[in-house]
Amino acid sequence: MHIPDGYLSPSTCATFYLFAATGWYAALKRVKQLLATRAIPLISVFAAFCFVVMMFNVPLPGGTTGHAVGVGIAAIVLGPWGSILAISIALAIQALFFGDGGITTLGANCFNMAIVGSFTAYAVYRMIAANSKLSSRQRVVAAAIAGYVAINASALVTAVELGIQPMLFHDASGTPLYAPYPLHVAIPAMMIGHLTFAGLAEAVISAGMVSYLQRAELSLLRGVSGLAQAPGAMIASASAEDSPRRLSPGRLWWAVACLMLFTPLGILAAGTAWGEWSSADWMNPHTREQIGTASGNHAPPSSVPAGIEKLSTVWTAPFPGYAPRFVKSPGFGYLLSAMFGVGFIVLASLLARLAARKWPGRNSGS
Amino acid sequence: MQNISFSYEAIPAIRGLTLHIEEGDRIALLGANGSGKSTLLRILDALYFPSAGTVTFKGDALTEKQLQHDEFSLNFRRRVALVFQNPDVQLFNPTVFDEVAYGPLQLQWSKEDVIRRVQETLQVMSISHLRDRSPYRLSVGEKKRVALASVLVLDPEVLLLDEPTATLDPKSQSQVVDLIQQWKGTAKTVITATHQLEIVEDIADRVFVLEAGAVIAEGSPSEILSNTGLLLRANLIHAHRHSHDGVMHSHPHFHGHSPHDHEH
Amino acid sequence: MSRHSFLEATLQGFTRAVSKALQSEHAAAQPGLLQQLDPRVRVLGIFGLVVSVILCRRIEAIAAILLVAIAIAATSRVSLASLAKRVWLVVLGFSGVIALPALFITPGEALATLPALHLSISVQGVRAAVLLVLRVETAATLTTVLVLATAWTHILKALRSLHLPAEIVIMLAMTHRYVFLLIETANQMFESRKSRTVGTLSGAERRKMTARTAGVLLSKSIELSQEVYLAMLSRGFRGEVRLLADFRLKARDYAGLTAFLFTGGLAVWMGR
Repeated sequence: MHIPDGYLSPSTCATFYLFAATGWYAALKRVKQLLATRAIPLISVFAAFCFVVMMFNVPLPGGTTGHAVGVGIAAIVLGPWGSILAISIALAIQALFFGDGGITTLGANCFNMAIVGSFTAYAVYRMIAANSKLSSRQRVVAAAIAGYVAINASALVTAVELGIQPMLFHDASGTPLYAPYPLHVAIPAMMIGHLTFAGLAEAVISAGMVSYLQRAELSLLRGVSGLAQAPGAMIASASAEDSPRRLSPGRLWWAVACLMLFTPLGILAAGTAWGEWSSADWMNPHTREQIGTASGNHAPPSSVPAGIEKLSTVWTAPFPGYAPRFVKSPGFGYLLSAMFGVGFIVLASLLARLAARKWPGRNSGS
Repeated sequence: MQNISFSYEAIPAIRGLTLHIEEGDRIALLGANGSGKSTLLRILDALYFPSAGTVTFKGDALTEKQLQHDEFSLNFRRRVALVFQNPDVQLFNPTVFDEVAYGPLQLQWSKEDVIRRVQETLQVMSISHLRDRSPYRLSVGEKKRVALASVLVLDPEVLLLDEPTATLDPKSQSQVVDLIQQWKGTAKTVITATHQLEIVEDIADRVFVLEAGAVIAEGSPSEILSNTGLLLRANLIHAHRHSHDGVMHSHPHFHGHSPHDHEH
Repeated sequence: MSRHSFLEATLQGFTRAVSKALQSEHAAAQPGLLQQLDPRVRVLGIFGLVVSVILCRRIEAIAAILLVAIAIAATSRVSLASLAKRVWLVVLGFSGVIALPALFITPGEALATLPALHLSISVQGVRAAVLLVLRVETAATLTTVLVLATAWTHILKALRSLHLPAEIVIMLAMTHRYVFLLIETANQMFESRKSRTVGTLSGAERRKMTARTAGVLLSKSIELSQEVYLAMLSRGFRGEVRLLADFRLKARDYAGLTAFLFTGGLAVWMGR
């Protein structure tokens, strides 16, 4: 999964360096908040650990071996931000000191493995492990799946980066200038190897290590906050006072509000989405032409398909076409629909939560 | 320091300990592994803070809060130095030169002063030829010398040495002992934690014996070393069977540089 | 697979990594061309040439840079034989194999046809394959020569003076320093397990052993990092990173930098 120099075009390299740099910057800030002065020795030694783990030949079912990256265990023990830094540093050492792996592609490699990998591993692990006990088998399974999914997510992003090269970067005669395989070749080619070997290796290491830690050092599974409390003096850094600014509900609501404001952009989309035609569209000669050209130049059937005709009378929407009848401006119609839709979802989830609480005997966390 | 206690993860490592140390003292903390020597040295170096009791250095109490102040901290770190038992832990810079320069750099000396002082120290410790070497290419003896150099560069008043001669070959061991002997009669206070009885007489004028986190005895080297009952209790000597003059017998003894003579 | 071969492979990997490091320390002390230049010039110059390699669109231009790279290697006392073994054959074995299908599946005008397999090689396919392999070889040669001819600490200091944040540089330095310690620890653990294995281990047992070794390594790593932290505190660390910068540019450094940039620029211009 390490992309060498020469497979990605300069603009691809630059773009992913930019993405990676944003990730590194955010991760460094976050890690300093969480760990203060401990960050440097902890992340450094953990990066060295990841580097060494990457060298392990992991025996796999079937008698073969594979290599793990360590992103699973890094995300579990250090959290996603610490993992981004540790894996990135390990990759940088590989490239800069041992000459394994490209330097123009370091940004892309870090994005694929350190950033996408860490977030995926962390999210999947938290989702499956949920609030189970630190020593439960659920955590081991969660680690295995998290590692597997993370590696394959990284592989997928890598495959996409490689697969778009011929399409975007070729010379006048059509020769691909960098990675020569288009998406429909690159994706299967990469995924086969990772769905089978690399993903399994990561799963084996992640699960095996969580299992070991459950017996030998349970505290390490408590995450990065536990590590910040190891014995030894702590220097209060300037930013240690602010609590880490999590994705608080308030900020999420602001994000939703902003998204709602952008909904009128939908008006710009010309024509009707493919497959979303009403029975009226089938009869209108203008839209029939549109259907034809959008469907590989096949002429549409001359009458409305029977199934569509039957079903179109089953339900009449209150706001057809996102345009409530009483609203004149189409833009405002979109906005109103958005607010109504969001409000409806909030109401539904509140009712669902109430229902869940009313049934005692269900696992209600903690 | 008076009546300090220190707990680590609910296991009391030090219990109700009181020590009084004067400037210029050369002290040995004698104890087997696990007796709390390392923990005590770290408390003295303001790396761990006791859960009960007080530690004072020249009248100032060493508390976590006090160490947050830049001025106090920099002053303290320069005057009190700890040499760790595991030199790999102390050699965290890329080269030997960088390692010895670390202390002065943290204290914000000028570039010229740093370079000059580092070169002096490397010469004194006879490791100038190692200046650009990476730590992973050093032998254990060389690592210990670099570790010593890295603290001596600041000319500290108090030296805390954690097992300075453990795992060393006899030649390196004697070099370290010579160094400690040099400081006899100077204003330097040296506190050495060790379990090696054979060096105690050379490196200390006063001995504290530790066992399970408490001081069980205090005295001069000759007093302590002749008290075999005490040494046995503190797990510092053993009594396995051995032979002299063809006679097999067993009695408490330790393997040191002076052969033990006794009547049969 | 024999019960030991996965252990052997891992142990061999460790040995290779350590010998690479030692080889680098040795080469960096040689009085060659690259070694005469300021590390910052070396880093910028080589990086610049690598960027030129990926900017070029023509095979001839990339080949020219490859020749320049080989010339730099030769004049910097880097053995071409070791380059061949360490870089050229490895790249051929990896990217060469990857590029092979491109000969057949890249659409375009047919160059030759394999009658038995009904496969035709296209001109575009050949060009794409050659472009790719040549790029990878040239870039790898350049970076390997840089790494061999420059002490790691100098690379770090060059990166620092090129405005990489101090914390990142310190972390790179510390990681590198402890990589070898951890390799040694892992090496010992695997060696001892190798000798203790009696009879053939089942697949599951082998996996468990590998994971357990990794687990022990992790515990030791965390403990090591906590001790290192105390050691840093003890020597006055308070969160800021202070490094000693001591590079000065001489006349030949400016000349060298100009030569690098000129070569790279020329290649890109001619290969556009």
